[in-house]
Amino acid sequence: MSTNAHTDLLRAALAGEALLLFDGAMGTELQARGLAAGELPELLCLTHPEVVTEVHAAYVAAGADVVTTNTFGANADKLGDAASVEEVFAAAVACARAARPRYVAADIGPTGQLLAPMGPLAFDDAYELFARQVRAAAAAGADLVVVETMADLAEAKAAVLAARENADLPVLVTMTFQEDGRTFLGTTPEVAALTLSSLGADAVGVNCSLGPDEVAPLVERMLPWASCPVMVQANAGLPHVVDGATVFDVDPGAYAEAVAGMLDAGVTITGGCCGTTPAHIAAERALLDARRPAPRPRRDRFAVAGPQRLVSLAPGQVGVIGERINPTGKRRMKEALRSGNHDFVMGEAIAQEAAGAQILDVNAGLPEIDERAVMCQLVSELQGVTTLPLQIDASDPAVIEAAVRGYPGKPLINSVNGKAESLAAVVPLAARYGCSLVGLTLDETGIPDTAAGRVEIARTIVAATDAAGIPRHDVVIDCLAMAASTDQRAPRAILDAIAAVKAELPGVRTVLGVSNISFGLPFRPLLNATFLAAAFSAGLDLAIINPGSRRMMDVVDSWRVLSGEDAQARFYVEHYADRSDVAPAGAPSPAGEKNLPPSAAGLSDDPVERARELVLVGRDGPMADTMREVLLAHDALFAIDEILIPALDEVGRRFEAGTFFLPQLMASAEAAKAGFEVIRAASGRDGAPAAGKGPVVICTVRGDIHDIGKNIVRMLLENYGFDVVDLGRDVAPETVLAAVEERHAPLAGLSALMTSTVPAMAETIELLHERAPWCKVMVGGAVLTPEYARMVGADFYAKDATDAARIASTLVS
Amino acid sequence: MAGVARAYEIASVERGEVLRYLGHSGQKIVPELDARIDEVVARCLAAARPRGVTRVFDVARRGRRDGRPVIELAGTALALEGSSIARHLDGAVAVGVLAVTAGMGVDLELRRLSLTDRVAEVVFDAAGSALVERAADAAEADIVAEAAARGLYTGSRFSPGYGDLPLATQPVLLSSLDAQRALGITLSATLLMSPTKSVTAVVGLFEEPRERAYVACDECLSRDFCKIRPTGSTCRDLTGATG
Repeated sequence: MSTNAHTDLLRAALAGEALLLFDGAMGTELQARGLAAGELPELLCLTHPEVVTEVHAAYVAAGADVVTTNTFGANADKLGDAASVEEVFAAAVACARAARPRYVAADIGPTGQLLAPMGPLAFDDAYELFARQVRAAAAAGADLVVVETMADLAEAKAAVLAARENADLPVLVTMTFQEDGRTFLGTTPEVAALTLSSLGADAVGVNCSLGPDEVAPLVERMLPWASCPVMVQANAGLPHVVDGATVFDVDPGAYAEAVAGMLDAGVTITGGCCGTTPAHIAAERALLDARRPAPRPRRDRFAVAGPQRLVSLAPGQVGVIGERINPTGKRRMKEALRSGNHDFVMGEAIAQEAAGAQILDVNAGLPEIDERAVMCQLVSELQGVTTLPLQIDASDPAVIEAAVRGYPGKPLINSVNGKAESLAAVVPLAARYGCSLVGLTLDETGIPDTAAGRVEIARTIVAATDAAGIPRHDVVIDCLAMAASTDQRAPRAILDAIAAVKAELPGVRTVLGVSNISFGLPFRPLLNATFLAAAFSAGLDLAIINPGSRRMMDVVDSWRVLSGEDAQARFYVEHYADRSDVAPAGAPSPAGEKNLPPSAAGLSDDPVERARELVLVGRDGPMADTMREVLLAHDALFAIDEILIPALDEVGRRFEAGTFFLPQLMASAEAAKAGFEVIRAASGRDGAPAAGKGPVVICTVRGDIHDIGKNIVRMLLENYGFDVVDLGRDVAPETVLAAVEERHAPLAGLSALMTSTVPAMAETIELLHERAPWCKVMVGGAVLTPEYARMVGADFYAKDATDAARIASTLVS
Repeated sequence: MAGVARAYEIASVERGEVLRYLGHSGQKIVPELDARIDEVVARCLAAARPRGVTRVFDVARRGRRDGRPVIELAGTALALEGSSIARHLDGAVAVGVLAVTAGMGVDLELRRLSLTDRVAEVVFDAAGSALVERAADAAEADIVAEAAARGLYTGSRFSPGYGDLPLATQPVLLSSLDAQRALGITLSATLLMSPTKSVTAVVGLFEEPRERAYVACDECLSRDFCKIRPTGSTCRDLTGATG
């Protein structure tokens, strides 16, 4: 075969112009040849190369264009001391070549560890494991890389980036899904296809998972969202044991029939996974030889995705970006970002999602904090509370890159502008990481007054994104709202600019932060709402607003009726049938206990006594109102020292005596917390918590991901007014030391749940005692006893959370 | 790779079990908390995707490794080390191996609650623990059924980390079931499983009934998942079993 013919099929297949056939299962074929369960199959490349080549050769004979190396688990972590990654890939590619296939694909499976934030493996460490495999594959002479059986979108992303940045080979990536149509981590086929094809994968698809009939609908859901070829390698149905041997229930004929349906839908690369045999591949060969690639559905849609949710706008639809996670002009947000206590940020995220936001803007731009570190932490933590895609809002390209690189989804970058420096720094980031990009119509000369000036800058931006290969539907122009009070021609100029951008730069979308328009004028919400309606009419696609503002969401919901987006006005009728202008802007008044007199709920009429009772019974609902009542007659100090702290002490005593059990303790702590919140808001103090004691650094030690005990301790310490620095779970000794040194903390609390992580605790204590001798260490957790605590060198043993609070109180003031 | 994930229908967990995990020992539970526990347990059941894999391997050889007893199994790299498991499986002719998980949805929800609602977090955590034990009961029922089909009797579950069966057994045990692919279970460097609500265990298969191991069917934890009673028999009296 000539070199041209050799490269041409692959090139044509990756352009979607030819069909390509992979091989079938390796693992089940090796097991049929005597591989024991639980052994590392990859080592056979070294010990029994002839057996591996025999499997490859059977697939080549069956007509496979591509054979896949026996390297699924060949990463440094899984191989351990058994062999090096380089040895295994060299041997594996040689085994494959010996079967004389057209192409050899280097196979890369998951790392075997769970990535952060849910697991202990850092994104960069996963990347390094993959990068070493990719370099080994390229050095061994593989023709392409196939990343397969991925369940975690972040891990798949790490593998694709590792392939792209460490070799010049095509990279194909497939994920595995459960019966519910999601991966183990909740990613849908649409999200996977959008994210990975935007990132630059040469093909995306589904492998393993289930039988071909179950896989077909999943792969069809991928097709509209993938900008590259779509591939499928299903299992041969379900295995069962017959006479001691494992057989799969989908035979070659049935398998090929299911594949035919997928080819009709637009799939162009096929093969097989667990349980498929050379006979299955031969059946597919016959099928592929009689066909050409089928036409595919394409979506010209603005689309972004979080790990579990895709958000898209067809032309004519409008979207809402929540603006609240931004410290500018927001005291509580600033305080939360500075202190590192992000509960308030998480609360804002949840509230915005509930109010109808579809994307959340995230901005951590405060001069006194490490913006890059805080941004990455927020992006990670937000994945825990919301499924909404994020808009990474930063001006520093390094912050943007750090946040988007490991983001498990396709984010929106906010923003680039018309300045040459900005274009040169940010546009390549959006292209490399497959993000949508907001472009601001300002440049070295500032923000033009006229529509024409703004459109000119938009043109410059779009020229740069076109040149970088960013699709038009991923570019979102912000024409920048300016105050009507300073220049009453400004609103018209903005609206004209929006219309002109849409008309003159086809495919490009628009976005606008609306509220600047009303700056300097009274009753701003009304102006904002009116302007938003006008902007939608001019063609605005995305509004950056506070979705908690009923008036703004009213405009969005009603516009969707007028534009036809809300078909048959279904949503509107459902949500507005009972609305009237009598009570226009407020939230519906909460029914139930709030409106009852306290005595009706069995509570005291005296607010001081009632606050105490609420802590003791663990009810946070009525606490805020009660505490406000208390503060009418008393000062904050009284409320803390005479009500909340004594009540908490009493709860602690009851817990120790066994009259309270854990959830009661927690409910009481929650009620007290609601009280502290009111005191803090009323005292108007920035920064320090109500009573300002501390700091105390706490964490779950390295290797341990069970953090519930630590969370309970944190809650109680916070209640007692300690400034708690919570480093989270699976924390390295050096990280604990750095935090203790930075804050000169007099006390650190370490928790461990498993025997296997106690050594990490001992190591952390040793480091702290050596390098931060002023810091006492208390330890706790299921496996610890007072003796064990002494053995690991701890200064104190806390048998439970109330004990930890008592220790902290004696040490820290 | 013959590991087939089975999904288990688990519609409820024992409330008493959840309370036990929460350290409850008879304290009075106020109505608000009472309702909240029910609500959180329901949420846990909704978030969970209980699944498991089981396989049965014949005992190949009993020997010693580094001076410790070891049971080697046929057709797998899995070997069971230590004197506690040697005692537990004394006389076993085969060993059932199981891995079950409540799924990552439980961990995701736990993480959300840890940031938003700490009372619910501790209750949800307890519910997840109770739930994955139910999944293990279901997996055990599959092994009991497979044993019965071979005319064998089962002992009780035993997990890595109990007695002196090392936690280091986990990697090979999980890979012998292909548990990452089938269930999404991964291990940390310190051998902790994710999803955190996952259980692995082994069950001995014996030629004679294990008298101490049996409770009445009504008290058996696996009763909801039992495949033998519908055949008119029980796992300690296989005479009526059709196999």
